[in-house]
Amino acid sequence: MLDSKTPAGPLKEKWDNYKNSCKLVNPANKRKHTVLVVGTGLAGGSAAATLAELGYNVKSFCIQDSPRRAHSIAAQGGINAAKNYPNDGDTVWRLFYDTIKGGDYRSREANVYRLAQVANNIIDQAVAQGVPFAREYGGLLDNRSFGGAQVSRTFYARGQTGQQLLLGAYQAMSRQIGAGNIEMFARQEMLDLVTINGKARGIITRNLVTGEIERHVGDAVLLCTGGYGNVYYLSTNAKNSNVTAAWRAHKRGAYFANPCYTQIHPTCIPVSGDYQSKLTLMSESLRNDGRVWVPKDPGDTRSPRDIPEDDRDYYLERRYPSFGNLVPRDVASRNAKSVTDEGRGVGETKLAVYLDFADAIRRLGKDTIEARYGNLFEMYERITGENPYEMPMRIFPAVHYTMGGLWVDYELQSSVPGLFVLGEANFSDHGANRLGASALMQGLSDGYFVIPYTLGNYIAGTEMDAVGTDHPAFAEAEDASTSRIDQLLSVQGDKTVVEFHRELGKIMWDEVGMSRTKEGLQRAIDQISALRDEFWQNVRVPGEPTHHNKYLEFAGRVADFLELGELMARDALEREESCGGHFREEYQSPEGEAMRNDEDFTHVAAWEHREDGSKVRHTEDLEFENVQLTTRSYK
Amino acid sequence: MIITLKVWRQEGPDVPGRFETYKVPDANPHMSFLEMLDVLNEQLIKEGKDPVEFDYDCREGICGSCGVVIDGQAHGPQQRTACCQLHMRHYKDGDTIVIEPWRAEGFPIIRDLVVDRSAFDRIVAAGGYVSVNTGAAPDANSIPVPKDDADLSMDYATCIGCGACVAGCPNASASLFTAAKISHLALLPQGDPERERRAKSMVDQMASEGFGDCSNHAECEAVCPKGISIDAIARMRREYMRAVRG
Amino acid sequence: MSSSSTESGWLSSPILKKVITGVTGLGLTLFVLGHMVGNLAMFTGPDAYNQYAHFLVSLGPLFYAIELGLLAFFLFHIVTGIRIAIGNRRARNTRYSVYKTAGGPSRQTAASRSMIITGLLLMVFLVIHLLSFKFGPGGPGNASQAYLTTIDGVEMRDLAKLVHEKFQTPWYTFGYAAIMLLLMIHLRHGVWSAMQSLGAMRPSLTPIVYALGGLLGAGIAAGFIAMPLAIYFGFI
Repeated sequence: MLDSKTPAGPLKEKWDNYKNSCKLVNPANKRKHTVLVVGTGLAGGSAAATLAELGYNVKSFCIQDSPRRAHSIAAQGGINAAKNYPNDGDTVWRLFYDTIKGGDYRSREANVYRLAQVANNIIDQAVAQGVPFAREYGGLLDNRSFGGAQVSRTFYARGQTGQQLLLGAYQAMSRQIGAGNIEMFARQEMLDLVTINGKARGIITRNLVTGEIERHVGDAVLLCTGGYGNVYYLSTNAKNSNVTAAWRAHKRGAYFANPCYTQIHPTCIPVSGDYQSKLTLMSESLRNDGRVWVPKDPGDTRSPRDIPEDDRDYYLERRYPSFGNLVPRDVASRNAKSVTDEGRGVGETKLAVYLDFADAIRRLGKDTIEARYGNLFEMYERITGENPYEMPMRIFPAVHYTMGGLWVDYELQSSVPGLFVLGEANFSDHGANRLGASALMQGLSDGYFVIPYTLGNYIAGTEMDAVGTDHPAFAEAEDASTSRIDQLLSVQGDKTVVEFHRELGKIMWDEVGMSRTKEGLQRAIDQISALRDEFWQNVRVPGEPTHHNKYLEFAGRVADFLELGELMARDALEREESCGGHFREEYQSPEGEAMRNDEDFTHVAAWEHREDGSKVRHTEDLEFENVQLTTRSYK
Repeated sequence: MIITLKVWRQEGPDVPGRFETYKVPDANPHMSFLEMLDVLNEQLIKEGKDPVEFDYDCREGICGSCGVVIDGQAHGPQQRTACCQLHMRHYKDGDTIVIEPWRAEGFPIIRDLVVDRSAFDRIVAAGGYVSVNTGAAPDANSIPVPKDDADLSMDYATCIGCGACVAGCPNASASLFTAAKISHLALLPQGDPERERRAKSMVDQMASEGFGDCSNHAECEAVCPKGISIDAIARMRREYMRAVRG
Repeated sequence: MSSSSTESGWLSSPILKKVITGVTGLGLTLFVLGHMVGNLAMFTGPDAYNQYAHFLVSLGPLFYAIELGLLAFFLFHIVTGIRIAIGNRRARNTRYSVYKTAGGPSRQTAASRSMIITGLLLMVFLVIHLLSFKFGPGGPGNASQAYLTTIDGVEMRDLAKLVHEKFQTPWYTFGYAAIMLLLMIHLRHGVWSAMQSLGAMRPSLTPIVYALGGLLGAGIAAGFIAMPLAIYFGFI
């Protein structure tokens, strides 16, 4: 049984109690402590900047050519905070409650409450940094509403909230880089975690320009390396998003929690062909006015405009009369899958459903629709070459966030002392499903307001051995990384890395995607394992290890995805219930709705990697002292 | 459709580069430009050749990683579009496309089409921020910001740092990038206390990075994927002169 | 950190360099405008032209001060322009094999790309022009009885005679006209660019100033070309 180290006391006082009692590092001593921060997204950027401001000696690493490019930048919608500026009854409690309910009661109460508490400070901090949030004519901040909440609590900067918040963190980092408090290592990929006497003390990185392997030593390591959605090959993640840093840490002792929890977003632009490299998300606000349908007859190949009303199936409106097209993300996604499985999908690939604005345009006029969704329609047309004012959009669900990640306790510390995990890379705050506008909130909360306290508590309370990069543990980890690279390059088989990745993605999407079955998951485990063996026998990686070599980078990442994918399937197999983003076909109501099993599965599953390669499933019981577990219904 | 590509290949910063000609026999009009390059690379790997190195990440036009000069235009022929969102339907069967890296002394070539844009990071580190430590912020609504100022500030803040402004500029000037950040922060009350110091340091850093001077060709605005107006540059000059006057 | 093409020393700031070219450029534009208007006096007759020229010289110290100022403006404009052009070439040592403008909001034209060329040609012309007229027969250091005239009892230089002689030769006349077209091209980009360099522009103003800049350049060139052609073809 894992100990979450949740502080004592009533829910509302836990964080204050923690702050009142945690150990502090003497200001003069902070300079003597080196903190390695891997990743420069919202979590890593905000953590690096804040720790450097406090006086720690920070080394920061990112795989992109600049810390400003981390994938947080792609978040569109907004960031939640219970400021209650609109006076519509919002409170910290409501934000907490919505988030925990949205997560289908599979997250830790104390973590989520702390998240809701510090959210307000994030908005203050971002505004002070010069983040140009949307404002009203009076000059004060504007809010809008977002899925899963009955209040307007979302702050936004056009459709580019992630970008603006990330630039805020990046600028705060840049200030510390200019001041010499952060040493920045861009185009560096973490390949291994170095543990000495059971503590995380360093990392091995590869310089992506020269191929050199580097050793970095520190007193603590912060992994802020994002999610693993690219295990599906096609996702809304950036092409370089990967699990490698987290996975290598897992193999050095960090538990991986709830890997099967993935979020699939219903309104993405569908795949157009085999060459497709990624998927693009469109705001789900489109479902406010668009109607989702497919032809009734699987063999119907008519143009959508020629299909009469009687031959159309508005399946969401039919199955969910009260919520209709506005059912939550997971429900909308699953239904799209089931109609395409029936062969009623549309478009060339038959893997899409229509999102039709014809009725809305008739009712409200083209101008109103343009005012509401003009930029989204433009984006759709740019990518597909079709005009959504005239033809219905084709949409399909796509993987876009992973709620699972490395297991952390209340202090964001993993099962390896000194290894902290922040943002999407950890598992902590979203349970089995994440609500809109809360990913940005979590990343920044972890980096700006949580880690400065919990890291200090660790450093002040831990006896550190004086070690350098000449310690044998560094040599061992470096050798492991180097030989792995050599191995990848030495196979020189027939199949490219992309081909393997695409195949893995197909297995994951078919069997570990929107709906899962026992048989399918078992099949996936076998297939992934076979594919992994084939990979190491037959992959072809071009070029040399000594220069910028994108396909070598990919090869290492795909090798890790081939291991993670199997663990995801195993985790999904063991979780015999349906909750949030995890839907097991065996566990549904007669009407096809998800059925949780609170009695047996109100826990976190955290997987340990053993030396012999086996995986052991540990659990952390989730105790709900403040909220009542209920069933979601959208009929 | 069949596309012929003339691609700049260069093994390292100090090695002379050259054009190589390749054929992509199975390009598809629905592909993005970068997906077409992916297809080329798969082909090259199968033939035992080194694939073309190019930068990319989000492939939805927001991270600013990608950027190549396509037939003489930074990010290619479609305005307000990063090359990851350019689609092959803008080309026709049999077309020949010339692809070159961003060319500027401030952006040394790393390999093939990959360049080193770290100069931009150093320009921001010289002053492109508001000096506010975490935790020191007042309530977000304590300082009202006129909506027009906030909106204009946002226009400049949309810069994705891709470097197309430098690549497209006949002088390889980094003025639009630098000016966009200076303008974004100068328009907000939060950025006001440091505006003079910021303008001076950022411009001085820009000058030391080997970029050219702005001759007001306004080419940068035309190639900017976010369409940032060169009005930012006029504003940067005002900010700078204000700083110099003291 | 790259510093290979870094200019150091006095006025190396990219902003100040452009402010200098902008201020001097606008000043010189006003000068050529005045010069052009003055030239039109020839259409009233040689006497009016000579009287106008004599009036300027008779300003004495003020005239010399203006000349010195003009000289300084020219020097600053030329030296800074050359420095900018050299820096810009250094900023892109390897040229693109294919390069074209993206159009639209871009104001990149043959005029904007050739500022240094039109500028240098104008500089060469300026020297020839000064040697031909200001320091030509009857001018300072080149006293000549043949180029003196007396109008209303005042003895003055017969500049009109010199002008008439010069513009009898076809190569000189048409060469002059061609140079004035270069001036027009230089001003096509120069006027609006100077305003932008001085930070005086905003989006609503830009198209107007850009259009006015073009008109001003064309007007000045037309004014300058009118007189030599009129002389050459015998209208005056």
